[in-house]
Amino acid sequence: MLATVIETKELLQTVAASLIAGVGITAAFAILIFGVTRSADMVRSERPLLATAAGALAAIALLVVITSIVLGIVVMTQK
Amino acid sequence: MSSDIILVIVVATALAFDFTNGFHDTANVVATSISTHAMPPRIAVAYAAIFNFVGAFISLEVAATVANDVVDAGVITPTVVFAGLIGAIAWNLATWYFGLPSSSSHALIGGVVGSAFAASGADAVLGDGVLGKVLIPAVIAPVLAFVAAVIAINVVYGIVGRERPGPVSRGFRFGQVISGGMLALAHGTNDAQKTMGVITLALIANGTISSDADVPFWVVVSAASAIALGTYTGGWRIIRTMGTRIIKMDAAQGFSAQGAGAAVILASSHYGFPLSTTQVISGGVMGAGAGKKVSAVRWGVAGNIVVAWLLTLPAAAAIGAATYGFSQLFGDGAAGPVVISTLCLAALGFVFVRRLREEPLPA
Repeated sequence: MLATVIETKELLQTVAASLIAGVGITAAFAILIFGVTRSADMVRSERPLLATAAGALAAIALLVVITSIVLGIVVMTQK
Repeated sequence: MSSDIILVIVVATALAFDFTNGFHDTANVVATSISTHAMPPRIAVAYAAIFNFVGAFISLEVAATVANDVVDAGVITPTVVFAGLIGAIAWNLATWYFGLPSSSSHALIGGVVGSAFAASGADAVLGDGVLGKVLIPAVIAPVLAFVAAVIAINVVYGIVGRERPGPVSRGFRFGQVISGGMLALAHGTNDAQKTMGVITLALIANGTISSDADVPFWVVVSAASAIALGTYTGGWRIIRTMGTRIIKMDAAQGFSAQGAGAAVILASSHYGFPLSTTQVISGGVMGAGAGKKVSAVRWGVAGNIVVAWLLTLPAAAAIGAATYGFSQLFGDGAAGPVVISTLCLAALGFVFVRRLREEPLPA
């Protein structure tokens, strides 16, 4: 009886989406902070190549964060 | 004429509930931002109010669940919906008075189920919907937020754990402006829709709209406005419980807790699960604390919150049922709801003024 009541597919999709978004966006934001911090440190140490690489990593992470949030809201509004 | 008067009272009561929901629940939304000093209290509350308002417009799945899957709209009356709302408001105010962050959502659903049961018996309650759409997600969601926050905070410490703490902390405090906004958006989406669902249910019960009609736009706008106003008014006592009494947080933990909470609430709202946002946020806060250090979580306070959660559904249901019984003493007309509304307004004004006098707002 319980199996017919539980909306298994929706619940599993909720679990997957929550973990991917909750952990993924937080991880991307942490990488963004890592990139910005390292880039600033490398600039101070006069290592421009590493500073650029860290800055690029931060830029990619920022793009991932923004895209994920926008995508999430678009999906929410389209059902 | 009599049923129209009751309908007006129901709509006003539902919006009052939405206001208390904002007042009661959104403290939970802003607590982490305030606790980590990402935002000053007044700005955090105003910010959350704006995102609550916007969030109410992005989905209607939860409203559909509350209107169609909890009780049988075909057999209930606006008076039943009114009694359920009174049950929810009374329980919300009692837990607010004692500083317990219980669930407004479960209070609402418990109140409506209790009054429907008192009015029409067990057949009026859609057991499958209550179990599959409310109770099971209610158990899963806070655990999911807890797990997501535990994983997230460990990933964060793995990535930035060796960096200088100053810039990292500043970065995550800035990040909390985003994650706090997302959490307020998620809260507005899930919680304002419950009020929309209840008003829609009353409109169906009154015969104003058909059972397959969409949620009217005026209902969406008024529910969004009520929850945003309630949020702006704030709930300082519960802010303290959520923000500092469960755990002491750093900015990375605050970001992880808010991110996990927002993700769970938004994903659940997408599938129409009317969650307790309080429970989900609490799960995220405890997960972010336990992920760093299990002993950092004040489990005693967390235990009190769990007790409040367990009591919410039956207590709100009992008050809803009692309210329906009391209203029937005055017959089927509008007299019962009018008398009860008057008594509730007097009691609410007394409690509200007394509590605000006891607790001046922080700067």
